[in-house]
Amino acid sequence: MSDAQGRAAVLTVEGASKHFGSVAALRAADLEVFPGEVLGIVGDNGAGKSTLLKVLSGIHTPTDGRMTVAGAEVHFSSPADARRAGISTVQQDLALVEVLDIATNLYLGDFPKRGLLVDRKRMEREATELLRRLNVRVSSVLTPVASLSGGQRQIIAISRAVRLESARVVLLDEPTAALGVQETAHVGEIIDNLRDSGKAVVLISHDMEFVFEHADRIQVMRLGKTARALRVSETSRDEIIALITGAKQL
Amino acid sequence: MTTDSTPVIEDGARNVTLGDRVQEILKRQEVTLVGVILVFGIIITVLNPVFATPSNILDLFRATVVYFVAACGLTLVVVAGGFDFSVGSAFTLGAIGATWLMTHGVPWPVAALGGVALGFVVGLINSVIIDRLRVPPIITTLGMFYFIAGAVVLFTGGRDIQPLPDGFNAFGKGTLLGIPVLIWYAVAIGIIFHIVLQHTRFGYNVKAVGGNLDAAVANGISRVRTNAWLYAVGGAIAALAGILYSARTGSGQVSAGGSTVTLTAISAVLIGGTSLFGGVGSIAGTALGALLFATIQNGLAIASVPAQYSNMIIGAILVIAVAVDSYRRRRSLLKLLS
Repeated sequence: MSDAQGRAAVLTVEGASKHFGSVAALRAADLEVFPGEVLGIVGDNGAGKSTLLKVLSGIHTPTDGRMTVAGAEVHFSSPADARRAGISTVQQDLALVEVLDIATNLYLGDFPKRGLLVDRKRMEREATELLRRLNVRVSSVLTPVASLSGGQRQIIAISRAVRLESARVVLLDEPTAALGVQETAHVGEIIDNLRDSGKAVVLISHDMEFVFEHADRIQVMRLGKTARALRVSETSRDEIIALITGAKQL
Repeated sequence: MTTDSTPVIEDGARNVTLGDRVQEILKRQEVTLVGVILVFGIIITVLNPVFATPSNILDLFRATVVYFVAACGLTLVVVAGGFDFSVGSAFTLGAIGATWLMTHGVPWPVAALGGVALGFVVGLINSVIIDRLRVPPIITTLGMFYFIAGAVVLFTGGRDIQPLPDGFNAFGKGTLLGIPVLIWYAVAIGIIFHIVLQHTRFGYNVKAVGGNLDAAVANGISRVRTNAWLYAVGGAIAALAGILYSARTGSGQVSAGGSTVTLTAISAVLIGGTSLFGGVGSIAGTALGALLFATIQNGLAIASVPAQYSNMIIGAILVIAVAVDSYRRRRSLLKLLS
């Protein structure tokens, strides 16, 4: 399991399945993603994309299957486990606490401490620096998330995933769904920077144009299964759409 | 930003300024409450100057501190989006448990700790029922309220426990710098709870769980662990309030606590601006809520207004406080949509 440059996959999934009662949301999903690449995952509604992402981020425990991070087998029983293993996620619902301010949201579940107490000053300073580095426009990090626009919230949620220095893999679920043209471009820029800094990015999106622009490889999901990933340079939109609808099989 | 109403668009986030912090403070319910208490106090003082005498003010504080102590834990529970009806029973259980132990050969400090431990266990059981059996907090803790109320009467045969050891009575009755020790205890407990809520990871987690449970969990915060600590500490501090009350009155009273403590504590928390919708609240607000409650009761009594009126006024203030909270939420939502 290594790519053209001989690098080892940072995250692999083999034969993952997830049943909810008698419903199989995920049948046999395989996936591998390498450092410094963006893997796009596309598929119709109900194809199992979000279930796969929830398995990767520790929200769902798979019914069956095997997962490795940096070569070591992992079993996640909570989102905290996935985070510790270096997997950072931007959920489709963003997972922000609206009544709390931006700085607090950026550090949810991981507040910096100084002695027994939360180091509020450091949190505000680093949050401000992070947003400045990512060119995020907000008045200040004390602004409650409730007063931000949908696009701004999306960017804050992404900033949080990017913040984790220890993250090897960043998972993004429909990151551009609520965004305007300019904001979409901004998210694309952040994704490109993540790849350039050597992180692996898994990008789930309906936005075919966005996926073709930013992904290195594209993997199609259909009926809870994954097809072989295709290099963006070796496929076409027509081929991907045919795979999504089932008109073509790999 | 305070003088400039046009939104400033700039790259990156602006540094946090003093103005930002002042604005945040002025928006808070505590500021409104201080105003209401002052205005009310001035009116009563005009009607009867006895109100503003130091001895009356100390009486007022002494009457309210045990409720405030019980309300400290409840504040955290409500900020986390939960509810605890059983604080009044934990109060009684702490009082009866501790005084029974100290009248049966256990040294009073150990007996007091025993009473606190009983409250802790009650809270822990609450959290297990809420998280494992998935019973809503209001039902769980209401059931616990009745269960303990019945158990305490059964255990004591309805008789108060006394006399209590001299050391224990002194613990609740003395003064320090002219101020009753009970008030000092309440201030210390209030400061500890304020720090826990505003400055510790646990406090941040409590706000996150109350503000958006799914988001908190997706970011690695454990709901079960947070709830276990919340309800256990809430039960323990309510029991401690009951024990302090016993020390002040010199007996373990079966009728102390119960629905009076529960309702007063809940009112103090909600009048203090802690939101039933979760995520928002403060110990300072609860202290002011308890103080307003006590000021109204004491002030109207001093102004010779019948007690029924003070209940009506407190009822109205409670509804107004929650309406204000609800209005604030709607307004911020509207601002968002426009």
